[in-house]
Amino acid sequence: MEQYMMLHDYVSNAAAETALFYLISIFAIIMSVGVISDRNVIRSGFILIGVFGAISGLFLLLQAQFLALAQVMIYAVGITLVVVIALMLTNPRSEKDTSYENEPVSKDGSPISPFQRLRLIGPAFVGILSFFTIYTAIRSESWIASGEQVSPDNVRVLGTALTTTYSLPFEFASVLLLAALIGAIMLAKAERPTPVIEIGIDE
Amino acid sequence: MSLQVQKNPIMVNVAYAGILFVCVCGFLGLLSNGKTTDWAMTNFLDLWIFAVAIVGGVVAISMGARSPFIIASGAVGIFVALTATQDTLVRYLSLSALLFAIGMYGMVKSRNAVRVLMSIELMLNAVNINLIAFAKFIDPAEVKGQLFAIFILTVAAAEAAVGLAIVLSVYRNTSTVDMNKFDLLKW
Amino acid sequence: MIPNAPEIGKLAFIIAFWICAIFLPVWAVSWAVGVFLPMIIEGQNPGPELALVADILRTATPILSVLVFIPLNAMFMVLYERRALALFTVRMGPNRVGPDGLLQTAADAVKLLLKEDITPRGADAVIFTLAPIVFFAPSIIGILPILAAITNNHPLFAITNLPTGIFFVLASASIPLVALVMAGWSSNNKYSLVGGLRAAAQAISYEIPLVLSLVTVCLMAGTLDVVKIAQQQDGGFLNWNILGGGALRGLDAAIATALKNQDWAPVIQAFYPYGAASFVAAIVLIFCSHILLGLYLTGACAEINRIPFDLPEAESELVSGYNTEYSGMKFAIFFLAEFTNLFIVSCIATVMFFGGGDNPFPQWFLDQLPLAGIQAGLGSALSFLINDMRLVDPDTFWAAIWVIIKVYSLVFFAILIRGTLPRFRIDQLMDFGWKRLVPLSLIAFLLVVFARVLVVSHGY
Repeated sequence: MEQYMMLHDYVSNAAAETALFYLISIFAIIMSVGVISDRNVIRSGFILIGVFGAISGLFLLLQAQFLALAQVMIYAVGITLVVVIALMLTNPRSEKDTSYENEPVSKDGSPISPFQRLRLIGPAFVGILSFFTIYTAIRSESWIASGEQVSPDNVRVLGTALTTTYSLPFEFASVLLLAALIGAIMLAKAERPTPVIEIGIDE
Repeated sequence: MSLQVQKNPIMVNVAYAGILFVCVCGFLGLLSNGKTTDWAMTNFLDLWIFAVAIVGGVVAISMGARSPFIIASGAVGIFVALTATQDTLVRYLSLSALLFAIGMYGMVKSRNAVRVLMSIELMLNAVNINLIAFAKFIDPAEVKGQLFAIFILTVAAAEAAVGLAIVLSVYRNTSTVDMNKFDLLKW
Repeated sequence: MIPNAPEIGKLAFIIAFWICAIFLPVWAVSWAVGVFLPMIIEGQNPGPELALVADILRTATPILSVLVFIPLNAMFMVLYERRALALFTVRMGPNRVGPDGLLQTAADAVKLLLKEDITPRGADAVIFTLAPIVFFAPSIIGILPILAAITNNHPLFAITNLPTGIFFVLASASIPLVALVMAGWSSNNKYSLVGGLRAAAQAISYEIPLVLSLVTVCLMAGTLDVVKIAQQQDGGFLNWNILGGGALRGLDAAIATALKNQDWAPVIQAFYPYGAASFVAAIVLIFCSHILLGLYLTGACAEINRIPFDLPEAESELVSGYNTEYSGMKFAIFFLAEFTNLFIVSCIATVMFFGGGDNPFPQWFLDQLPLAGIQAGLGSALSFLINDMRLVDPDTFWAAIWVIIKVYSLVFFAILIRGTLPRFRIDQLMDFGWKRLVPLSLIAFLLVVFARVLVVSHGY
């Protein structure tokens, strides 16, 4: 692999990584705003797949190859299912999602009171507050990065840990999945009319 | 009577912005214990960036800009301004916090149950970024963060399945997925 | 003797012609970009900038060769499929354009590119345009790790070798599903929508046996890396994963020792340490790996919407399914991606089950033949090409030939299936997937887990 060393020097330096990080993260932020503010639920589902793609790109930057691929695999299928369900439950022509109308007036046309306006900006307040809280927590800590590198073969490390130290949580996760599977089937199963029991016809 | 939609009066919004600005300045003043604004500028630069962004957002709303545009540009602006001079780890953590906040906003704001589920998925993914960043920068030897991320992926899958099933059965009973109309238990 | 021998001969000629027409340009491009241009640049004592250019050229070689390969290959596969189907159903097939229909698909491609590109009224234009791209891009990306495996880890293609190889391929193979739903929804057409939804249901159901079968093969091999999986199976068909993932490796070694007139009992003892239990385990492994191959081919057929599972585009019910509204360039991209996916699926089967670029003859059999002399003679005769121009890499060359033969045989098998089986009904499809294939794949997985401990196989 010596022939690639020169390119490797250029690509893996910190500036390129930073540029890639900002590119991907700005893409992810814009797409996630698109998810929560697109009028059409189905289109926002497709945008959500874009967000997850960007996030798995970030995982690749963080050298978590296995998780990036698992992310793509699980969410490409999972979110498509969400979209399909949304398709079944909404009729885009008859039911406009109006929650993103900027409603400056109340229903009868009178100007709204400051209290109602506060209710409108409530979600924004919640969002800003949560970001502010988490960001303050992040900045109040001085993070000491251990200068080591992640081993390129960390799939093996993950597998070993999952089957030795963390085998009990792993089993619990599988039980959880089974429970979720059965529960989902039970919930989503169409209710049949109670069977009418007729006695004495056969036999 | 004429039902003409009344535009937002700009002055009200500017007044809101002014009140907010004064509040933030007062907060800074309290923290700085009466010292000069220089001290506040150096030690609470993040807070200043916040204040400027919020004031800018309110002014933009009053000028009639659409809210997705404001949220997107504000989020990107805050993110870049806050993390430009930080460590790589803090950058990842801030991105995760921002995505979490966007997901939280969407979850509180949207009325469609399916979109609420999507926002929850977004929040779970933001947490995953956190964990994997920790795995790389704090614990690279035995990447525990990635392990926890795997468990979170599992939980997210289970949550999506059960959540969708619940939404389906709610739709079957009420033929709507509007969160505001799920008030059968409301008393 | 064979009544349709002339037709078979014509088909063989078409295959030979088109394989040359595909692989000579690919070869030429990857040699020119990866070897020749960097050789010229570095021959002049370049500065760091020029050396960087040479590096970039080398790095871009896999992508460029794939980009040259995909359109040519799709053109060939369409013709191949139509002529082979005609052979099975005793028809003529396309035979007008060019000598004996040789250029039919080239003409088709030109026609498709010249057609008007229509976006239907009421369609979601952005997603409608994005769908073919999302459908096509994963097939370029997903083929990359396989590329390293089938070229025998040639230095130019080794850069595409990833430690999570087969998982990468599977992940990128699951993306086209999104594109099908996108295309179906955005077309504003009920047939497209039904096609997209069927594609989603079908792909999700059949992805489970597909992934489980490949995971089981990875379990037998002990690694996810496709290059390692391919290299483990070197040395004849007895080592291939289709025969128990190396369960017959002991037999291979024993025959080799017996041919050298040595005692072969200790070899057997070393490879099958538990006596009769080991032999039973070896038989179970062989049986399971055949089941796994069947599961893989079934699941792959469903993933790429080939005929017994082509409900998403069932033309008798849904016009053309998700691509009803597509025309011109976008339709061409869909078409291209479908045939590329067929090729990729066959490639994965070749690498995972049929030994990659390995020749099927065991090493002890080749030792009986006077091949070494021929090889040395060829090597000295072509020394200019091999050593000076570096046009031919002997390792990669034979591997590539074997891969081409194996892959196009599997494609032929897929066409044979298409000509033989009728289409499933949607409830039969779901039944078959969930009630037959998923339990079968789980059972095979469990059996392999227990059996592979008793035999010294690849991943031991």
